[in-house]
Amino acid sequence: MTAPTTGTSTTGRSTNGGAVPDLAGPGSSGTARRTPDRRSGSGPQESRVSRTVAMTVMVVFTVYFLVPIWWLLVAATKARGDLTTTNALWFSDMNLLENLAATTGYGGGVLPRWLLNSVLYAGGGALLGTLLAGMCGYALAKYRFPGRELVFNVVLGGVLVPATALALPLFLLFSQINATNTFWSVFLPSIVSPFGVYLTRIFAASAVPEELLEAARLDGSGEVRTFFTVAVRLMFPALVTVFLFQFVAIWNNFFLPLIMLRDEALFPVTLGLYNWNTQVNQVPELRLYVLTGALLSIVPLIVVFLLLQRFWRGGLGSGALK
Amino acid sequence: MRTTTRAVSVALLALTALTACSSGADDGAAGAGDTASGGACEPAGEPVTLTYTTWIPGIEDVVATWNEANPDIQVEVQTGPNGNGGTYQNFFNQLEAGNAPDLGQIEYDALPNFRVQDGLVDLGACEEVVAAKDQFVDWTWQQVQLGEEDSVYAIPQDAGPMALFYRADLFEQNNIPVPTTWEEFATAAEQVRAAGGYITNFSQADINQFAGLVWQAGGSWFENDGEQWTVDLTNEESVKVASFWDDLIERDLVSTYPGWTTEWDNAYNSGEVWTWNSAVWGANSIATGAPDTAGRWAVAPSPQWEDGDASAGNWGGSTTAVFQGTEHPYEAAKFALWLNTSEEALTALIEAANLYPATTDGAQLPALAEGVEFYGGQPIYDVFAEASEQVSPDFVWGPTMTQVYNDVSDGFSQAITGGGTLTEALESAEGTTVSALEAQAIPVAK
Amino acid sequence: MSSAALPGRRRVSRVAHKRAIAVFVAPFAALFTLFYLLPIAYAVFQSTRVVEREGTFGPPREVFGGLTQYAQALQSSPFWDSIGRVLLFGIVQVPVMLALALVFALLLDSPLVRGRRFFRLAFFVPYAVPGVIAAIMWGFLYSPNLSPFRPLTQSVDLLSAELVLWAMANVVTWVFVGYNMLIIYSSLLAIPAEVYEAARLDGASQVRIAWSIKIPLVMPAIILTAIFSIIGTLQLLAEPQVFRTFSSAVTSTFTPNLLVYSTASVPNVPLAAAFSVLLALATFVLSFTFLKVTQRKAFQ
Repeated sequence: MTAPTTGTSTTGRSTNGGAVPDLAGPGSSGTARRTPDRRSGSGPQESRVSRTVAMTVMVVFTVYFLVPIWWLLVAATKARGDLTTTNALWFSDMNLLENLAATTGYGGGVLPRWLLNSVLYAGGGALLGTLLAGMCGYALAKYRFPGRELVFNVVLGGVLVPATALALPLFLLFSQINATNTFWSVFLPSIVSPFGVYLTRIFAASAVPEELLEAARLDGSGEVRTFFTVAVRLMFPALVTVFLFQFVAIWNNFFLPLIMLRDEALFPVTLGLYNWNTQVNQVPELRLYVLTGALLSIVPLIVVFLLLQRFWRGGLGSGALK
Repeated sequence: MRTTTRAVSVALLALTALTACSSGADDGAAGAGDTASGGACEPAGEPVTLTYTTWIPGIEDVVATWNEANPDIQVEVQTGPNGNGGTYQNFFNQLEAGNAPDLGQIEYDALPNFRVQDGLVDLGACEEVVAAKDQFVDWTWQQVQLGEEDSVYAIPQDAGPMALFYRADLFEQNNIPVPTTWEEFATAAEQVRAAGGYITNFSQADINQFAGLVWQAGGSWFENDGEQWTVDLTNEESVKVASFWDDLIERDLVSTYPGWTTEWDNAYNSGEVWTWNSAVWGANSIATGAPDTAGRWAVAPSPQWEDGDASAGNWGGSTTAVFQGTEHPYEAAKFALWLNTSEEALTALIEAANLYPATTDGAQLPALAEGVEFYGGQPIYDVFAEASEQVSPDFVWGPTMTQVYNDVSDGFSQAITGGGTLTEALESAEGTTVSALEAQAIPVAK
Repeated sequence: MSSAALPGRRRVSRVAHKRAIAVFVAPFAALFTLFYLLPIAYAVFQSTRVVEREGTFGPPREVFGGLTQYAQALQSSPFWDSIGRVLLFGIVQVPVMLALALVFALLLDSPLVRGRRFFRLAFFVPYAVPGVIAAIMWGFLYSPNLSPFRPLTQSVDLLSAELVLWAMANVVTWVFVGYNMLIIYSSLLAIPAEVYEAARLDGASQVRIAWSIKIPLVMPAIILTAIFSIIGTLQLLAEPQVFRTFSSAVTSTFTPNLLVYSTASVPNVPLAAAFSVLLALATFVLSFTFLKVTQRKAFQ
């Protein structure tokens, strides 16, 4: 078993699905997949004490993870005066609808626009980024060609480059073709996901069996068609994972838009809220709008998590093999 | 290999095509150059569209008024974070890339920085601009000339003359006289502390405020004789001010909350902190940050270093500058003048963003003449109008103020958390400032 | 390309499906070249420039300056201080975070816990909060005056010079534990049950099974999360940037990336570029060393 090294492992040796940070399930190496349900029924030997300890740990940390979000939810329901004077963890006068109306209406209703932009940047970017990374990772895993390891290593090196180092030169490059302050100046750089290539390559190496590809070839299916009909299905768990991580990364990114964009109508929601936050000195009601806006900006991500959650158990990809 | 090369060029082409189609928001002027630097300030003779980047809240409505009246000079507003929050950085990037907007908001302290990067159009060639000089309070005009006799690098917009906001009720209840000198201020600080409060808050990140105090004391951190810069953060006045506050901090007579936080608001709202020697726009900050104290505040002139003096500092204030690369300096200047001198624009700016105009007439506008309820009905802007006249025209900002603020603020933070003094922070920042200038090949006197 | 009897024919023809490879690789390669390699090359180029000018307000000219900026960067004490700070941060925060993530993953994978779906989601939700917003939220929770946990925050100043680094570490931990937990958890799911069925039948405890079977098997996933955490630590930006607004103790050079940002806004782009290049190199060296060390220990 090898570590997921920066590309030195050969395809044959890196088939350990365990290296795949896979939301959607295991990179099965062909064994039947265990489901949690199957295990929970077993083991009367687990003592009541260890169960209690385990559950206590989980509950305590659930509080730790959810309290700040609960606080945000509560804060978004309060009038500005109550924000600092009432119990921060419980509701006072319900002001949520007023806050939502004021927040979404402020500045000519620019917040809904920002949310839409974020959905476009993150949704479109993650979709396209996943597709491109998946194709590249698949090719690196399934074809032998000169320079293959070089390409893979260079791409992996890309993971290490700090965001600040890229953003500034990117701005100057986009300026050369007069393309700063456009949708594309944020969208295009966001769709490059070196991590996605890494992940899909490892996954494809183990989850897409050669025999299946050969069979497709014998049936007369072209390579590209085989990818979309056979490989994509098998790689689906990894693709979902790449999509999710890329979606979150783009949604959270505000440094690139900060440098690229001048037109408020193009802002993603993080940059918009950051902008508001810097104006709190002049317009104090913005503090509440930032909190309400923050809540609104988290909701779509939680929805995405919930929607994709069914793939966590789905067992797509592994079941199709044997 | 050949396929790859072709694929890359196709992608490049596609990229160019995509962006070319969608660059509606772009201003055509690529390649910063001498389009406007040399002297000409001529009307274009055709309809033009200008871009203007600012962070004034509510500016859109003001500009809409202009657009309605001037179909041939349309202005598109773009808003961003405040200057040091990212907009200056963007301006610098855009200047380097040659696609800066036509006009931008720049605070006085950042003007030399943009001048050093060769980013500003000299409006000295525009007759209307030169003619407008007398409308502005003297020191604001000095600030935009950057020491050059015939040059004008921006149109002053607003000013931040400083005065003392204080809790009239608390001072009266505790029989503490409102200080008129800094010596009295220190005495009052002890009395206030004895009464359980803090006389004021010293926030380490507001270096502009500290600079305003040095400005009032008659010191200046920079000099520029045309040949080279002199960096003097530790001049006599500066050290005097620093030691004064060092002493108050050490004796725990002032609080040290970071500025502009909810805790800072809370310190004022709860009556823990009693005064704020701040700029005119601070009137609104208190009113919104400390709503529970409405009606209990008043404004007096800043304490003086010598009994009987009458000098004031300045904190903040912006200008409207025209950037290198614009093709329409004449129209840009015309808009900037309207924005910052006309009664309708100034009245709208006062209402939308609490700007305090840099023109003498602007300071007399009806919107600024009335008593303010939050301050017990006192016509507070009279105090500031007077202060504005007392601001020294000799204070010079350096060409790398962002760096200076960061370095001084880093040192002040240490001083407040118990490591070193404000004076030491100034000394060390002076050293780093000299190296920062040298790194930019800006000549510095040793 | 025709398949005439060129000398290189045999080598070339050995690569099957050239067209397909091009179709698969080219789009990503093109974008990667444009938006990663080109900017990096540009940053390296910029880092070799120095500014020249005449007089106080003379227009700046950039000329080639060799390694001047690197010499300056390496002599900069704020640079070394910031590197030292993130290293300290990483040495403490990364192990704590990964240990928590591992424990949670093992618990989720054990029969001891009910309501897995709920916990999995609850622990993962903070990952949905953008770094900037997480920092603003925690800023409120740390505040001595406004926090819901005032008894704690009033007696201990979490934003003081001594503690602010750890206050930030908590924010990062809060956001990323769930993410790392899922990575480890999904690789636990991939272990075939037979592997430790025997141990179970022998009556080995869950702790024992976790320690001697599960952990060694998911080591690659742990190492992967460790490397990403190391990279993330060296590139801390959003959290300190937001913390600056409410803590006196966070300076403009608190982390290397913040230093890059402050330097670029002077604007001293060449020096900022040199810092960035050094930072990228440091990141590379660290993750590579880590990989080598752990590989030797864990896999032989």
